[in-house]
Amino acid sequence: MLVHSRGARWALWAVFLVLFLPLFALPLLVVLGASFATHWSSVLPSGPTLANYRSATRGEALQALTTSLLTAAGASLLALATGTWAALAGAALGKRAKRVLDALFVLPVAVPSVVVGLSVLVAFSQPPLLLNGTRWIVILAHTVLVTAFAHQSVSAAVTRLDPAYEQAAASLGARPAQVLWRIRLPLLLPSLTAAAGLCFALSMGELSATMMLYPPDWTPLPVLIYAATDRGALFSGSAVAVVLMAATLLVLFAVSRVRTRASYR
Amino acid sequence: MSIRFDSVTVAYDGNVVLDSLDLTVEPGEVMALLGPSGSGKTTALRAVAGFVRPASGRVLLGGRDVTDLPPYRRGIGMVVQQYALFPHMRVDENVAFGLKARGAARSEIRQRVGEALEMTGMAAYARRHPRELSGGQQQRVAIARALAIRPGVLLLDEPLSALDARLRSGMLAELARLHRELPDVSMLYVTHDQVEALTLADRIAVMDKARLRACGTPRELYRAPADAFTASFVGGANLLPVTVGADGVDLAGREVKVDTAGAVAGARATLCVRPHLIGLGAGPNQLTGVVQEIQWRGATHRVHVKVGEHDVMADVRELREPPARGTEVALHFAAADAVLLPEGVGHG
Amino acid sequence: MAEAVRAARAVRGRAEGSRRSLGAFGRALPPVALLALFFLYPLVLVVRQSFRPDSGGTSVQPYADVFASEAFRQALWTTVWLALASTAGCLVLGFLLALVIAFVPFPGAKAVARFVDVFLSFPSFLITLALLFVYGSVGMANGAWTGLTGAAQGPFQFLNTPWGVLLAEITYFTPFVMRPLLAAFSQLDTAQLEVAGSLGARAPRIVRTVILPEALPALAAGGSLVLVLCLNEFGIVLFTGAKGVTTLPMLVYSKAILESDYPGACVVAVVNVLISVGLYGLYRVVSRRAGA
Repeated sequence: MLVHSRGARWALWAVFLVLFLPLFALPLLVVLGASFATHWSSVLPSGPTLANYRSATRGEALQALTTSLLTAAGASLLALATGTWAALAGAALGKRAKRVLDALFVLPVAVPSVVVGLSVLVAFSQPPLLLNGTRWIVILAHTVLVTAFAHQSVSAAVTRLDPAYEQAAASLGARPAQVLWRIRLPLLLPSLTAAAGLCFALSMGELSATMMLYPPDWTPLPVLIYAATDRGALFSGSAVAVVLMAATLLVLFAVSRVRTRASYR
Repeated sequence: MSIRFDSVTVAYDGNVVLDSLDLTVEPGEVMALLGPSGSGKTTALRAVAGFVRPASGRVLLGGRDVTDLPPYRRGIGMVVQQYALFPHMRVDENVAFGLKARGAARSEIRQRVGEALEMTGMAAYARRHPRELSGGQQQRVAIARALAIRPGVLLLDEPLSALDARLRSGMLAELARLHRELPDVSMLYVTHDQVEALTLADRIAVMDKARLRACGTPRELYRAPADAFTASFVGGANLLPVTVGADGVDLAGREVKVDTAGAVAGARATLCVRPHLIGLGAGPNQLTGVVQEIQWRGATHRVHVKVGEHDVMADVRELREPPARGTEVALHFAAADAVLLPEGVGHG
Repeated sequence: MAEAVRAARAVRGRAEGSRRSLGAFGRALPPVALLALFFLYPLVLVVRQSFRPDSGGTSVQPYADVFASEAFRQALWTTVWLALASTAGCLVLGFLLALVIAFVPFPGAKAVARFVDVFLSFPSFLITLALLFVYGSVGMANGAWTGLTGAAQGPFQFLNTPWGVLLAEITYFTPFVMRPLLAAFSQLDTAQLEVAGSLGARAPRIVRTVILPEALPALAAGGSLVLVLCLNEFGIVLFTGAKGVTTLPMLVYSKAILESDYPGACVVAVVNVLISVGLYGLYRVVSRRAGA
């Protein structure tokens, strides 16, 4: 313990709460509160209602939720496959080649998402791959954006993987393919699910590239929330935002359940 | 199956970690590779398993050159310090792994897994996961897994060093029993613990600084070590610098009668005497000195005596009235118990 | 003779080694090809587009036009100072909060640490949305003020200014600093703190001489990551909806989507990428140092 005097400790905790609560807890509570209200012109929201949720769970909003879920699921699975492949292939490379590969795969983190959106728009608005105006361009952009995160976390897990397991398997006569399927991938499973969860959450909240690319019939939740707030419908926008957060948390929770069952140690 | 190292050299980034090792393990023999860390002993074992590639030289198994063979085609059983049991598989699945990888028939797998678990006394734990087992139990499963593929060669890399002292001596006896039950399996046993090597091995290869220093039966190495390093690493020894005389040696101005066969008079040499072969009190080859330190070790006392400028250790049966520090005592030893070694002082 | 055999074997060993690494290269090829097709190739097209004005031909005219425009220079300046200020704020705040969570733990500190993780999985624009309710013209704070004083308008009118963006960015990105810090603190041997304390050092001194040096790598890594993320932030600025706050990503969006000025958008994109990737390279170097 760093601070021994009881008074100083209480003072520190007070400062912590004063900083932490308004900055981090308040925003989420405020959105939650607003989603159940019709007015907010004093300290607390007023005009309690469930109407925001009724509209946030049907029609346009429901479709946006489906769109977001499908996009996030598709993008995270694709990203997971590509990122894992690259991470596993990278582990077998020499030091210098691995560094180049790692640098290539983290590049999408550094490039602004808006620019990723713009570049995908520029590249796939023309033959041979004409994707503009379809849902695939949104899924593609999300995949590009989250692959970097999938690769990073799987790659870290591959590095941490004790080579003793692979070597034990090889000494018992397992060929490289058998080692991959029966030893390495099962041992990586916890990290794979964690990476999938991360990618899913990122894709669910992606706005920048999506704003550049979405076709009218493939509107994900963040775009809908923006549209709502842009026309001043802050309260129904909040309800949609709560739906977005809830859906994200639900999927993350499910993923972490899988992870607990998959971690053997 | 025999194991043969034919001037095997291994280098990492230009650092030679194993320097032209020549060594043969006969079929059914237990060979211990004994040495401090960094001596190259584990590298030698990994070269047999196929995890390190010799820069030069050949590794032969049963007379067949396997230098270019990948690990999975060598058919070797291996047990490592941290067991490396597959955490996502049950005990029986772990043991069956090698057989499945080979595509063995299901009935054969069941039978051989049963045998291997029976032999290591782990049959009752077949459906458990590794994390539910103690360290000693995990080690038994690791051995069962290696034996299930019926290897001609079993490689053991510091297999007991993760166990506590009591379990270790039990497992040592267990390994000796396994070897009696499987007389055809050659074992290469890497360890830094001389007790394990002395207990288990038919022969010991002592390694230091990437080189083989000595190789022989435990008794040979203990009774007549070839050099100071071997003497101090196997059993511990007093290593005293001496000058060879006519029919004895000169130790700090004192004449000591020992066998000087093979040594040139006037040359410098090292006299090796095991601490437990030195007695307290007057006798032949007597040395006198001042007690520096006395340690009670239960059945024995270890007495550190300053003789001239040398520190001499003597292990004597527990003394009823041990000499106090600073008192002068006499030490003696039989000429037959001292070995004259070429000059050079090894590790502590 | 033995030498010759040894040499021949060494050569063979090298040949085998290169064959093996050739296989490794082959296996790395498919994901790299996908990345090249869907990420690198589009980026190259953006660069090419930035040299092709609408009037045709290839020239640096789009660059000259963009660099000459007041809007671009304004956006560049806003982006840089917002990112720098946000990063500084995140570092100070993140360090303080992580310090308390790690070393002056209170009941529920673990839950707070987990909450920080959850916070990271929400999109950034939610913060701006929330701030609209807290500090917006009819939000919580202003509502409380007008209710108390009877004034027609509250005093909090900064949401549409860069200060609103700054507040949102500090709020959203502070957890990105806290996470590596908490990880670094958990590695710190508490015995060090106890020894320092038993030698008579007081808390501020321990923080300065023991904790801060240990935390520096994590601070550097977290700080540079946040700097890059702030340079690239779009959602917060978009939701603020302030005409006065235009950052580079915002400019890319408005030029491309609202004005259909693709060459101009591409020029801004190239500039933004150069700044961000350059800084991100720095971050990688720093964090690799920190890891070593």
